[in-house]
Amino acid sequence: MGAFVLRRLAASLITLFLASIVVFAMVRAVPGDIVEQMMGQLGGSEGEAVLRRFFGLDEPIHIQYLDWLGRVLRGDLGVSWRLGAPVTALVASAFLVSLQLALLVLVFSAFIGVPLGLMVGRWSGGAFDTAIQSFNVVALATPVFWIGLMLLFGVSELLGWSPPTIYVSPVRSITENLTILMLPMLSLAFLQIAAYAQFVRQHVIAAMGQDYVRAARARGMPMRRVLLRHVLRNILVPLSTFMGLIFIQILGGVVVIESIFGLPGLGRLLVNALNARDFPVVQGALLTVLISAIVVNLIVDLLYRAIDPRLRT
Amino acid sequence: MNPTVFAYLRSRPGLATGLAMIAVLLIVVAVPKVFAVHPPEAIDVANALLAPSGDHWFGTDHVGRDVFARVVHGARTTLGIVSGSLLLSAIFGGLAGSLAGYARGWTDISSGQMIEVILSFPPIFLGVMITGILGSNMGYLVLALSVVYLPLFFRAARSTTMVEGAKPYVEAAQALGAGHDRVLLRHLLPNVVPSIATQYIILFPLALQVQAALGFLGLGVQPPTADWGASLQESKDYLLIAPWMALFPGLALIVASLAVILVGRGLQDTDDQ
Repeated sequence: MGAFVLRRLAASLITLFLASIVVFAMVRAVPGDIVEQMMGQLGGSEGEAVLRRFFGLDEPIHIQYLDWLGRVLRGDLGVSWRLGAPVTALVASAFLVSLQLALLVLVFSAFIGVPLGLMVGRWSGGAFDTAIQSFNVVALATPVFWIGLMLLFGVSELLGWSPPTIYVSPVRSITENLTILMLPMLSLAFLQIAAYAQFVRQHVIAAMGQDYVRAARARGMPMRRVLLRHVLRNILVPLSTFMGLIFIQILGGVVVIESIFGLPGLGRLLVNALNARDFPVVQGALLTVLISAIVVNLIVDLLYRAIDPRLRT
Repeated sequence: MNPTVFAYLRSRPGLATGLAMIAVLLIVVAVPKVFAVHPPEAIDVANALLAPSGDHWFGTDHVGRDVFARVVHGARTTLGIVSGSLLLSAIFGGLAGSLAGYARGWTDISSGQMIEVILSFPPIFLGVMITGILGSNMGYLVLALSVVYLPLFFRAARSTTMVEGAKPYVEAAQALGAGHDRVLLRHLLPNVVPSIATQYIILFPLALQVQAALGFLGLGVQPPTADWGASLQESKDYLLIAPWMALFPGLALIVASLAVILVGRGLQDTDDQ
């Protein structure tokens, strides 16, 4: 187990290292940096060289990369070229917004999707099952941001409620914070509820033929109890790893949803920084996404091994 | 129609529905002018934000363009970009994957590591990064989408090649003196194509969602070209006064995704039997 953890960790670090080079190289490979934008028509002057030196753009690219990497390892992502603020703080506050939303979606959809999956698996083949299966297909086909637009229109038109547009952190007011996050959460949850239900359904159907379910039934245990006490407990292992994969998917959806509901999350930070050619922020935001995706994948892998001894070698 | 094909489709209503929907979409893509009376880019500010009516079935947008015409013409842009990008992805990913699976050793390890790097980005972030950095034009959009889905074609081709490569017919071809290029191109690739095609159908709806999301973020197709995701972006500021601007391009996206998902599921069920 120890050797496996080390090997897996090393592989993740290599991938992260290579991905950070890709991010850095892509960002720098494009013509038109911040200095060119600042100088405009005045290009080619003495001031340009001074500014280049100021931003560290006069060094060869590999030196720039190593310089950046060295700072990153010390937790310093640089200074935003546009805002003059430290990138670490910008990215951290944006990441917390996205993270909170993603976790809300993850938990909320589990609370609805898992019981739904248990029921559908229990009565598979029935009308309810067909309905959920159709819902699943439609959920897969529907763009997350379109659901967001329709929800926004729906609550304004039908309920006469216009959702707040200014973000409030949960530290300041948890109720106001949750009010703002409610619609974005619902928009993202649609697809994930379907995913959970589908996942649990398949596991329940597979479990129904298993000896432990038949034995419990033979002892006269009611089906409800068998599902909750035995089947659900057996599903928890694959479910926890499934949640990891869903989490990464939600993180992607969050980017698009943020732009509808005006949430100051990682996606909006990234898109704004890209438009302004604010490289340090772009690099910081992408690196944060990469690290979270790689860490979640790593946890999923290790968890799977730790729980299921058959995978150990 | 051939009676057996007909009976086959009747026993699989999902597959039949999906195929019918794709047929309609293909006709719309081929001859949009037959369906849309109004030109998609004709600005008519006097008739902006009109609700759906007999003349404008889906209403008009903020500059008076016919939403129905934009949805119909948008089909060509949106579906063209997605199918083209995935085709590029399938060709390059498929070839590289087959090569890695056949050559093994360092070719396999190093290309596998590159694929791992691409996969470490969540799809939308990778798309945002490429289009956001390189700029929003159609070529870069196609590039972005094909890079996002390349790893999955690579993996499918690699594993199929590995399975096929161990079979006796490959050994026989090698024993008869066929060179590596001949074994790979003439014997292995034809057997890899079905798994690539399956992958294409599975990934199409996903790529469509990412294409639309990039358009919605303003990183995809640029105005005035009609595109479903870009139309949704324009609809955002008029949501409460002209909801039809958001409703119809979204429904078009759902219909197109649904069509391919239904075909994919229908074919999968057939394979299982």
